[in-house]
Amino acid sequence: MKPIKIAILSLTHGHTRKYFQTLNDNPGFEWVAVSAESKKVQEIFYKYGYDVPCYMSDEEMFEKHPDIEAVVMASGNSRHLEQFRMCAERGIHILSMKIPTFDMNEYDEMIKLVEESGIICQVELEMHYNPVVNRMKKLFSENQLGVVSGINATNITLSPVWAFPWQGVPEESYGKRVPLNSNNTRFRGGALCDHPHIFDMIRWLTKSEFDYIFAEVGPNIREELEVEDIILVNGKMKNGVSFLLDPSWSRLEERLEVPGPGWEVFPKRMEVNFNISGEKGVMLADCFGPNVYHNGAPNDRYTVQYTYFDEWIGMMDEFIHCVRENNTPKINLMWHKKTIEAMNACYESIETGQPVFL
Amino acid sequence: MVNNIENAVKLLLHKYEVKANVELNLLPGWSFLNKELNDNDMPLLTWRLNRRFIELKKIVSDEVVENVSMLRFCSLGDPNIWSLEALMYREFDLCEFITGSRIAYIHATLTNGLAGNIIVKLENGTIGSVEIGVQAPAGKPLIERHEIIARRGVASDIVVDTQVPQSSIYTFTENGDMEYKDVDNELFGMDEFQVEWVRAAFQHQKDPTQSENLIKQHDHLSRLVESALKSNSNKLKVKVA
Repeated sequence: MKPIKIAILSLTHGHTRKYFQTLNDNPGFEWVAVSAESKKVQEIFYKYGYDVPCYMSDEEMFEKHPDIEAVVMASGNSRHLEQFRMCAERGIHILSMKIPTFDMNEYDEMIKLVEESGIICQVELEMHYNPVVNRMKKLFSENQLGVVSGINATNITLSPVWAFPWQGVPEESYGKRVPLNSNNTRFRGGALCDHPHIFDMIRWLTKSEFDYIFAEVGPNIREELEVEDIILVNGKMKNGVSFLLDPSWSRLEERLEVPGPGWEVFPKRMEVNFNISGEKGVMLADCFGPNVYHNGAPNDRYTVQYTYFDEWIGMMDEFIHCVRENNTPKINLMWHKKTIEAMNACYESIETGQPVFL
Repeated sequence: MVNNIENAVKLLLHKYEVKANVELNLLPGWSFLNKELNDNDMPLLTWRLNRRFIELKKIVSDEVVENVSMLRFCSLGDPNIWSLEALMYREFDLCEFITGSRIAYIHATLTNGLAGNIIVKLENGTIGSVEIGVQAPAGKPLIERHEIIARRGVASDIVVDTQVPQSSIYTFTENGDMEYKDVDNELFGMDEFQVEWVRAAFQHQKDPTQSENLIKQHDHLSRLVESALKSNSNKLKVKVA
């Protein structure tokens, strides 16, 4: 199969570096270029040592490389629509970050752009290619728990805002400046916007859609942030399954400008766990465990050192397959729309103080 | 190679467009203990491809923990799969792989091919305990612990304040308690032991230049196992030849 000529846009999303090895190793890709949003980002990219040219604008990159067939859109949420337009116009396939946009008018325009241009757009929800999630799906398909009645899922992390500042700026992460509610000095655009996975996974596992959803924010553990960092969500799916979701930034971090060793203050910097109750019993899953552990450099703190992150391999294999075979990706814009709507409903619930029916 | 391993290796070879030498007999090194290697036999150090051990080695070599003083390793297995010799082979190699130093002395106490407790001393002065046994029930994955104690920091593949290795999924249902540990989505369905074997075989096909080093290390590990057996028989600390 002819390799796909691929580029990465912007390099400002927290997941950017996860793509480097996959684009480099997978013979299904020919990694031809990247664009950077700032000199600082460009310098960081060059430190990785890949022999890939880095341009200071998307336009320049596309001009120099008219043969680019696909991009990883690794930018802040507020830049996505503009880049969708640019790619659709050029017939360039898109691997979108996990939040295409929170503005549903923009979202509809993205769907239209993709449909009319005939490009493939896959949304980066990499948990679907995680081996533990794969096992959960298998156990569900085998009906090991029988009829499921309750799901508790966490997607809790440290906050990436010190390394990726756009994630703490309401206009850039949520798309506009909207107060959480009338009594609040904080705005939409924080931890919730960083954590769509559990909203998506509960739909996938239960094969049901959200019926109603309620959300509550706590006092921020990082007082200087103007977006929420502590949030809880509960509600029911249309099939009656009750759920509790925690998409908080509840693990404190050292305020590093470039993620690296010593980033975490709490030993485990990221957790996606599920507790699921069904008529035949209970399942507990840790999608990023077990690992190895140490209390060495740089801070002599007890630390979880992760042992596997191969989600990007499977996800990009699917992208290759969809581009070359003209197939619809599992996580496409239409599927993902209801996840984004549910996340928006959380903000609406915080605003009104009541559950929101979808 | 057994069929499912061979098929998984073929899958990776095809995906990553690697040309293979199909004649090679790519098995975990301990399978060749007490046998003369023929031209196609390749004793793989499969555990070196396990991400747990890659990260532990990295923690040492990147000086996240500094000045390693002692290792505390334990490996208790199913007798249908493991022998004491096989476990010694694996654990001795892990001592050397993780620390980057060779074992120089061994004092082994072994009981009827069923269990053993060994103290090793490495060339760099690090000491290590290796606890092995083959009395775990059939079908039980290895019960393991690999702890590294240094002047700066401790590293381990067991989480603090527990005795048992963790899994990623536990189910408690009317059919009993089950646990699952899936570590590689590309090789989904294979257990940790099979995954490391496939990864090691694939790596060897990608980079056959490692053959000579693998064979040298196999000879060395075979001598270490012999030394341990001799130490046990003679009730003496043995200097490794």
